Formats: sequence, C-alpha cells, structure tokens
Amino acid sequence: MPEEKKFYLTKEGLERLKKEYRELKQLKLAKTKGESPKILHSEDLNPEYLAFQEDLNFLESRLIELENILKNAELIKPPSKDKKNIINLGATVLVRVDGQNDEFTLVGSLEANPSLGKISNESPVGKALLGHRVGDEVLVSSPIRTTYKVKKIKYKIV
Amino acid sequence: MKNILDFLIDVGKLKRKYRKGWQVHQIKDSESTADHIFRMTIIAWVLGKKKRLNMEKVIKMALIHDLCEIYAPDMTPYDPLLPQNPKKAMKVLKSWPKFTPALKKKTYRDKYRREFKALKKVTLKLPPDLKTEIINLWLDFEKGLTKEGRFVKQIDKVENLLQGLEYWKKYGKIQHHLWMRWIKEIVDDPFLLEFLKTVENKFCRRCKHQKK
Repeated sequence: MPEEKKFYLTKEGLERLKKEYRELKQLKLAKTKGESPKILHSEDLNPEYLAFQEDLNFLESRLIELENILKNAELIKPPSKDKKNIINLGATVLVRVDGQNDEFTLVGSLEANPSLGKISNESPVGKALLGHRVGDEVLVSSPIRTTYKVKKIKYKIV
Repeated sequence: MKNILDFLIDVGKLKRKYRKGWQVHQIKDSESTADHIFRMTIIAWVLGKKKRLNMEKVIKMALIHDLCEIYAPDMTPYDPLLPQNPKKAMKVLKSWPKFTPALKKKTYRDKYRREFKALKKVTLKLPPDLKTEIINLWLDFEKGLTKEGRFVKQIDKVENLLQGLEYWKKYGKIQHHLWMRWIKEIVDDPFLLEFLKTVENKFCRRCKHQKK
C-alpha cells in the first residue's frame, strides 16, 4: 500500500510532476504497444527481454509513485499580504548562522535539495524556522545548539 | 563472462579509492569508497527494516550508488575553495562552504553529468538487463524517484556524518558542530532523525558546554 501522506509542492513542482506522469504514461503505452523482445533467445533467457522488463518495472513503479503523489498533493500557496513577514512553506529565508550568511528556500520533502539550497519543512532546521519573523533567533538544539538569526524573508512563489 | 569479470575488477578499484573529503582533512589511513559503501549498505538494511520499503531495492541501491566514482572524481562541497597547498586547506575547512545559488546549480549539474557519464562507462559491457537495472537504481537514488531512493540518499549522508564524528573523536580535525548543523538541514526522514538523536547523544554529549 502506498503511503497516505500529504505532499507539499510548489506550483512549478506540481506542474513538472503532472507533465512527467503524462509523458511516462505515453511512454509505457508506446513500449507495450510495440513489438517486445522475445523472452527466449535460443534456450537462454533473452537479456534484451529482461532489460525491457526491467525498464518497464522501473516505469511502472515511478507511475505508481506519481499517482500517489498527485493524489495527495497540496499546493504551496503564496501567503496573504499580512503574513508575508512570517516564514512558511515557499519562503526564501536569509539567515545568519555561525558567523556566516546563508539562504534557504523551505519546500516540501519531495522538492528538497539541500545542494541547491532547498530544505525540507520536515528537517529539524526547516521545522524550527517555520512561523518565525525577521529579527527572531531560532534555536536548533540538543545537545549541540545552533542559532539561526532571521535576516530577510521573501516569497518568490506566485 | 569476461565482461562481468572486467566489471568486477573495476568495482574492486573502489577498495583503493580513498575518499577525498577525509584526505582534505588530512586524516591518516582514511576510508575508501568501498568502506563507505559497506557500512552505508548495512545502515540502509538495519534502519530500513522498520520502514515499509522494498529492501532488495534499498540494498542494491546502496551498493551501486557510488560505482560512478570508479571513473568520476570524488567531489566535496569545499572543492571550489580549496587552495593548491594542502596545508592551507585546514583554514578553509573551519567554516561551511557557501556559494551563490547560480554556482550551486552549476556544481550540481556538472556533478550529475560527470557521474552519469562515468556510470555509463562502468556498465557499458554488462548484459543489458544488469546495465539497465544499475542505471535505473542510480537514477532513482540521484533524483529521489521513489521512497527507497529518497531514503537511501539520506542514509548516504548519515554514514558520512557517522564517519566524520568517529574521525573527530580520534583525530579532532573535524568541525563536528558544522557537520551536525549540516545534517539537520538535510535529513527529514523520521526514522533517521531518531537515529541521529542517538548519534548526537553518543558523540556530542560533552559538546553541551562548548557551545552556548
């Protein structure tokens, strides 16, 4: 049973997944419609058939994953005017930590990519930053304590 | 069979490929990529058991995730900042590397392209089913296409942290508090977060008094 969990996605992320789903469905159709390699090659299993099957299984598991995500997707909406100064999903936050400036965008788990500065709202740092405003000092602790000072909040999402 | 043997000889090279991050930290007798893969696979198995995951996929993914390093360089986040003189590198390692969003994007894309190309070279002569399986597992790991891929990606970082803390305890050359900060920005899996609390309590209890 696929997990029943809400997946928070940016509009861009949701569109990308919908597009991927449509394309993979078409690809699967094209693959299964066309002539597939024969299962047996002389007396041995045909490696081309196994590769074809392997690809099909990969395609199938991604399609199941996408169906589950799209079914449980929750769009990250831009905040109302009076809430733009509060950190929420979709916010890009400039912080001061350990004497350095750093910038994160808070996204849902699926779009998180710390190498690109996108951190998950379910990570300890992401979770701790939620709900804070410019000037707040956010403590992420136990037992090593790190303080993130919020310097700027902006929303690039539309 | 000759092609499989050639592949396995290639895989064996990872036993002697020493991880660059630790070499930069001037860690004596530091681990190889194969060492990292070994413990990471065990972690994936023992911690993944509690989750409803396809364990065959998880274990295979952990085993193959760094095969690209047979032909691709092992990269560290510090690479663009490292000076020519290795002795001066320790100064750079005192703070966490920060880059512009554009540079982050470029580094990420370059790394992905280089590693994918290397993986294709490693698997080039394998039977098509095996080649397809390895490439699909790697893509899942890199892009987090399934819950298995997303889990193993985080396990990779957890093993890295554990090794870093062990070296810190032994040699003291690691900025352990930066590593603990980094992991809390990366990991969001509840099982792994629970495990990380245990890791932190074991290694960093005495750090309580070191940081405000």
